[in-house]
Amino acid sequence: MSPLEEVARLRQEALERISTADSLASLKEFRVQYLGRKGRLTAILKGLKDLPVEQRKQVGAEANKCRVQLEQDFDVAERRFSEKSEAPLIDPTLPGTAQRVGAMHLTTQVIEEMCGIFYGMGFEIARGPDIETDYYNFSALNFPPDHPARDMQDTFFVEGDRLLRTHTTPVQIRELEKQKPPIKIITPGKCFRNEAICSRAHVAFHQVDGFLIDKGVTMADLKGCLVAFCKAFFGEGLKLKFRPSYFPFTEPSAEVDIQCFLCGGDGCAVCKRTGWLEILGCGMIDPAVLEMTGHDPEKYTGYAFGIGVERPAMLKYRIDDIRLFYNNDLRFLRQFV
Amino acid sequence: MRVSYKWLKELTGLDWSPDEMGERLTLSGTSCEYIESTARYMDNVVVGQVIELSAIEGADKIKKAVVDDGTERVDVVCGAPNVAAQQKIAFARVGARLVGDFVIKKAKIRGIESFGMICSERELGMSDDHSGIIVLDDDAPVGTPLVEHLDYDDFMLTFELTPNRPDSMSAIGIARDLAALASIKLRRPKFDLTEVATPASDSIKVSIDDPEACPRYAARIIKNVKIAPSPWWVRKRLLACGVRPVSNVVDITNLVMLECGHPLHAFDLDRFGSDEVVVRRAHDREKFSTLDGREHILDEQVLLITNGKSGVAAGGVMGGLNSEVEDDTTDILLEAAYFNPSVIRKSRRKLETVTESSSRFEKGADPNGIEYALNRAAQLMHELCGGKVHAGIVDCYPKRIEPRTIELRPARCNAVLGTNYLTERMKQILTDLELEVSCDDPLVVTVPTFRPDLEREIDLIEEVVRIEGFDSIEDSVTNIGPLFSRTLPEDQFAREARWVLTACGFDEMLDHGLGSSRVAKLFNPDLPQVRILNPVSEELDIMRNSLVPSALAAVSHNLAHRVLDLRLFELGKVYFAGSGDTDWREPDRLALTVSGNTPQGWRETARPFDFYDLTGALRRLVEHFRWPDFDFVPDKVSFLDDEISFRIKSEGRAVGWAGLIAPDQARTLGVKQPVLVAEIDLEGLIDTRKDRIKFEPLAVYPAAPRDLAILVDAAIPAGEIIECVRSAAGELAESVEVFDLYTGKQIERGKKSIALSINYRSRSGSLSTEQVEEIQRGVVAKLEQEFNAEIRDK
Repeated sequence: MSPLEEVARLRQEALERISTADSLASLKEFRVQYLGRKGRLTAILKGLKDLPVEQRKQVGAEANKCRVQLEQDFDVAERRFSEKSEAPLIDPTLPGTAQRVGAMHLTTQVIEEMCGIFYGMGFEIARGPDIETDYYNFSALNFPPDHPARDMQDTFFVEGDRLLRTHTTPVQIRELEKQKPPIKIITPGKCFRNEAICSRAHVAFHQVDGFLIDKGVTMADLKGCLVAFCKAFFGEGLKLKFRPSYFPFTEPSAEVDIQCFLCGGDGCAVCKRTGWLEILGCGMIDPAVLEMTGHDPEKYTGYAFGIGVERPAMLKYRIDDIRLFYNNDLRFLRQFV
Repeated sequence: MRVSYKWLKELTGLDWSPDEMGERLTLSGTSCEYIESTARYMDNVVVGQVIELSAIEGADKIKKAVVDDGTERVDVVCGAPNVAAQQKIAFARVGARLVGDFVIKKAKIRGIESFGMICSERELGMSDDHSGIIVLDDDAPVGTPLVEHLDYDDFMLTFELTPNRPDSMSAIGIARDLAALASIKLRRPKFDLTEVATPASDSIKVSIDDPEACPRYAARIIKNVKIAPSPWWVRKRLLACGVRPVSNVVDITNLVMLECGHPLHAFDLDRFGSDEVVVRRAHDREKFSTLDGREHILDEQVLLITNGKSGVAAGGVMGGLNSEVEDDTTDILLEAAYFNPSVIRKSRRKLETVTESSSRFEKGADPNGIEYALNRAAQLMHELCGGKVHAGIVDCYPKRIEPRTIELRPARCNAVLGTNYLTERMKQILTDLELEVSCDDPLVVTVPTFRPDLEREIDLIEEVVRIEGFDSIEDSVTNIGPLFSRTLPEDQFAREARWVLTACGFDEMLDHGLGSSRVAKLFNPDLPQVRILNPVSEELDIMRNSLVPSALAAVSHNLAHRVLDLRLFELGKVYFAGSGDTDWREPDRLALTVSGNTPQGWRETARPFDFYDLTGALRRLVEHFRWPDFDFVPDKVSFLDDEISFRIKSEGRAVGWAGLIAPDQARTLGVKQPVLVAEIDLEGLIDTRKDRIKFEPLAVYPAAPRDLAILVDAAIPAGEIIECVRSAAGELAESVEVFDLYTGKQIERGKKSIALSINYRSRSGSLSTEQVEEIQRGVVAKLEQEFNAEIRDK
């Protein structure tokens, strides 16, 4: 038997013994037999110097490979028997390898959720500029010049006879100028109000406005649409209350309260003991708005609504300070990952 | 606005509870915000009598009173200036809970034990008056609960009104809605006016210079009044509406305004200064003092009531100091006018004040409600102040404002609302609201001038539905409108960019978009700024022109709160002004920001975030959107560090920049550690994304991987080396990646070792070892030739 064959046979034999050993003691014994100071593999390695040069290199490499493999296999096999006394291979209570993904901003998530619901109802998204003209933000929306209705929204004015839009409703006008009915659109985006920054108010907030114009659109359709939205966004089984209100660009106008989803309408701190939460404004598009954009109000009717983003989010997640939406504090943002 | 519950009951005869009234009104558009009992701070408060009053040694402001509260006599320390022995007073027993939830307890003051409190109006939540204690009538029965004695068990209903409804700024107006809700008749106050024979026109003439601004000015003369406090029923009613009683004449003008909504003003006729009223625009720089003691310098925006020479009142806003009713006033010139709403709006802005009067005129008073208001007030001045009402109204009303007539088609009403209301019901609602209705189809509706908001058919439709209630509309369950919804490319882009970047570990930040001109100038001195004309603060006085300052502010905020692993991105707009109506731009931008270290874990070693964390994420975006590769060209950007500052180019076009924020810039926002940032202009890039993925057939033949480590000059960019390998290997090099980069002690100074892994593969057959070796030799030769590369290991 050549020395190479001898190494191969020895390996075969040892592996068999490792796999059939029935105790730690026998494993240890075998290890001495093969890898001990007077072990068989050790003997081969020791005898290398007596071999011819070419053979020496080849056999040496094989024998060493064999030694490494057997040592590993003995280690693994011995651990199999000594589990009780020694630490287990795996500690599953350690956190797995860190896999950090970033968090999308909560505002993004809420807008996506709202838009997703409306998208499912067949609304398309449209966008418009943040810096607007008086015409789109007020006049075309039927705010008379110098009228107290303009005080309902504290406005930032910008040089060049512009202003920061106070709602995303101007996009409605821009789309009405471009499209022919049927038009079914939501307009998510940033709006601005000139208010002192505090826990309840900020200079900027987001809104998802929506509107539908077609032949035969009624207030019943508006109610149906908003009831469906609220079910999807806030949960099933909550009552809505439509209260008449006033917006220059809709008539009849309504504000919608939803039964407080935290207390189920019994009254709690969040709903200020009323059992109701104010969540959105809506109404039938004022005929003047349609006329101004060249649509015949006798032929078409439409509804419109505007939903804040931060406020429902604050209610839903019980956030008590609107500034958290803008100070980019990762301790906040990462809670919504 | 606040209205007394009892008053509303009186005007309607309804027995609804305050809550029911509030709810029904809210559901019909008059939003009731709060309902408070007027007697909410009067539990345990009774009529008491001061039996004895004695001084307390060493105290000159407080006294000791012995008070009989009907059951016992107790000692009470009292500091009111008007307390006197034998007085009947409002006495709060121990245990009473007063304004501000102040509970009366046994107390020791200056060594004297005190068992209760003698109260002022403020302490009982009746008004702000804290000048002295309430002194009751001498015949008030001691021990009777105060509420009972004062007949003060009323409720204050506080309403938040919409700007379109001036008619609901009065008790009658709100009662009118209640009457319509209950379908009953409104019970207007009835009175007969007692006049003396002398005509009022003997005392005063009225003329209007600007009938556009003041379409009507009317006056009455009431002489021989005696100024005194109003009787309790007047004061009580005012208090329950949140108005502070002053004296009988002023209280009557306020009471009538609260009743019918029309503001009145009483002048002292003797102080008026002439026998004519002239209504005109103020002259430029004309001086005038209003009765709140402020002196104004006016201009033409202010409508001035004058005595022909000088101003006596800022019309519709506030009376003048010079002609105010005082304690010795005997003769009254009572004004009721109608002013153009937008004139009053401009005027009160100029005067920087909002009054009960201005807010009613600004929303639209009733030009034809003037007779009622004047007559009602004059009669009360006769009854309560002993005044003689001179005959007739001196009325300047050049062009009468007539009621409007509108048609309402019942079918249209149902078509807009999606309802099946009967024509009869519509008619009834409108009639209950005191509109006149004739005919059936269409209904011809005459709208009294107290409803200036009703101008069109749609306004009447709203009236019908707000009284009938939105609950009467059945929710539609059909989804109507277009069948297909498109998605905007920029929305789809933003959505995918967020997926990619959050998957890379970047957190999304979001800024409000306002910025500081000072910081913006520091960062980008050459970029134009869009200024806000009425900023809330200096720090928010422009619309931002770069995402970088917001990003740095976010870094600063988080570092301050010990969040130290910062990888942020923002998708947001920047703003550039145009010239006139064109060129206003709001380009979408993307900013990536990194600072601090990767988190340390049990198997992850923390390392600082650096430039390659930015370019790594950008590369993922490039791959995702299949954009052409970005090139990073060294170039100095104003706010970036000299050494690490790059222009980002896509096919030669500049699309942004990346680099290390210059340390002194970072310090301006309080950041003292390295912050790396990339800002990409998305305009153009969104459109160049390639959506269509073309499937590549899987390779059939085996790959032959080869590693190659070379030593080159440290300044040679890796990109050039890879390019060189690619060009030498041709299309057989399937991929070339850097798998190790080393500079340091082991190698020569100024050199770097770069290890490449090249995957060779042919699409047409297996490559033999010899073929691969040959190409690899070509690669090596090219590298040696081009870069003087030294091969470390083949």
